[in-house]
Amino acid sequence: MKLREFAYSRSGDKGDIVNLCVFVYDDANWEVLRRELTVEKVRDKFGSLVKGEITRYELPGTKGLNFVMTEALGGGVSMSLRTDPHGKSYQSLLLEIDIDADEEIKPRLG
Amino acid sequence: MSRSISIGSGSAYSTDRLDWAQELADSGLVQYMGFDCLAERTMALAQVRRLDDETAGHDQRIPELMRRFAGFLRRGGKMVGNFGAANPAAAADDVLRGLKLNGVTGVRVGVIHGDDVLDHVLDQDLELPEMGVTAQAIAAQVVSANAYIGADPIVELLEEGAQFILGGRVADPSLYVGPIAYEMGWALDDWEKMGTATLVAHLLECGTHATGGNYVDPPYRVLDDIVHLGFPLAHVSEDELVITKLEGTGGAVDIGTMKTQLAYEIHDPAAYLTPDSTADFSQVWVEEVGPNRVRVGGASGRPRPDSLKVLVGVDQGWKVVTEISYGGAGCVERAQLAAEVVAKRLEPYQLGIDEIRYDFHGMSALFDGQLPGGDPAEVRLRIAARCDDRETADAVAFEGQFLWMGPAGGGGVTTQMAPAIGVTPALLPREDVKLITEVIEA
Repeated sequence: MKLREFAYSRSGDKGDIVNLCVFVYDDANWEVLRRELTVEKVRDKFGSLVKGEITRYELPGTKGLNFVMTEALGGGVSMSLRTDPHGKSYQSLLLEIDIDADEEIKPRLG
Repeated sequence: MSRSISIGSGSAYSTDRLDWAQELADSGLVQYMGFDCLAERTMALAQVRRLDDETAGHDQRIPELMRRFAGFLRRGGKMVGNFGAANPAAAADDVLRGLKLNGVTGVRVGVIHGDDVLDHVLDQDLELPEMGVTAQAIAAQVVSANAYIGADPIVELLEEGAQFILGGRVADPSLYVGPIAYEMGWALDDWEKMGTATLVAHLLECGTHATGGNYVDPPYRVLDDIVHLGFPLAHVSEDELVITKLEGTGGAVDIGTMKTQLAYEIHDPAAYLTPDSTADFSQVWVEEVGPNRVRVGGASGRPRPDSLKVLVGVDQGWKVVTEISYGGAGCVERAQLAAEVVAKRLEPYQLGIDEIRYDFHGMSALFDGQLPGGDPAEVRLRIAARCDDRETADAVAFEGQFLWMGPAGGGGVTTQMAPAIGVTPALLPREDVKLITEVIEA
């Protein structure tokens, strides 16, 4: 199922770097998220939007992940010619990622 | 009596709304209000305004601010903000004028000068790593440099009895860390406490981002009322940290809004670098203790960085964006044809165009085609270019507008043009940034 069905996200920008945090609605899905949402899956979804590195961090206290992507905004908010130079909309692209573990996941909506 | 502080958020950017912030100030729930008025780009644009006019380049809301918060100040409330932007002295003048105009007397205004480090950046030929050059290599284009400064001068001014404190590029969290450290009696080199203060600051500094702004995503994330969001406030004591909002306002302070704010604009959660500490949020926990009341804890900290981050403003010429819409059958083909025609017509200008891109709203403008969709009913071509000079930017705008003449059915042309001021980071040793504080009796 889509990540959006059991997790939420927000993007933030600093220069040409975007961070995308991801949290699960239900703590029961934390281990699945942690196992399945890899840097490779994120890189595959973002493709040409991210020219630099993607690093994954964990927030064990709040059961969340944080992906930090460099060279991800076409030069950063002040230089970028992109429609969304902050990458505010990136959270929605991230939540489009397919997670292949339906039987283990408790979705947000019954 | 054990120490505590109640502090509210009043602004998260240079044009944030002040009406809802005033409601929080007037509620009597908070002793302090913090105001972040700057973003990366805002600071550079403020510098450009000051270059044009030496009395400009500070927060343009100060007259409205003073009118709305006169009552709060009269009741002894304290305000801390980076209202100075590129011109703290001019901001202080506006504040003094506003106090007088609104009949507020006996307020000590604290002003922080010295975050402008343009001379240092050029003299020391600092590296600009994101641009791959040093400052001197592009000296003619460097228009500004401001260091992100910390809570130290704020604490100093509070100790001197300042009630209204303003500075230039005071770092967002420091606007809150200063009052918290002062009221709680926390030493600025108690890194554990600074990590804790930074956590509270981080949850407040983005205003309504913490109370349901940029959050709702039906049917998964739904809040009862997002029409009238409340600004957040924090109650800090030695026993607990509680984030809440004004009763009767919309939005929410809950696990979801707190978690998304916790991780907003941070990189390594175990090493969030600010001028005040290297904060560790990795073990932070959040717990709902009532309706719109969340208890947080678990932050820690390590010593603050030896260097301060500097944002250097770089003149990038002109930026122009022009758009036109097409609808109905074949709209995508017509929009693509329009882009090809414009590219051809601009060939004589290509030397003056640093970068140009053609995007299609409704198809690929946000995600570069990474999320393919079906055939849209309508599409909007967006042409964006960064040009060396105004003449070239005008040519791009002209060609966008000339699309009235086909392909068929193009409508709703808009054009925006502005000087392109880029900002790029650098690092400066902390001791090179000499801050001066001043107290003015109003």
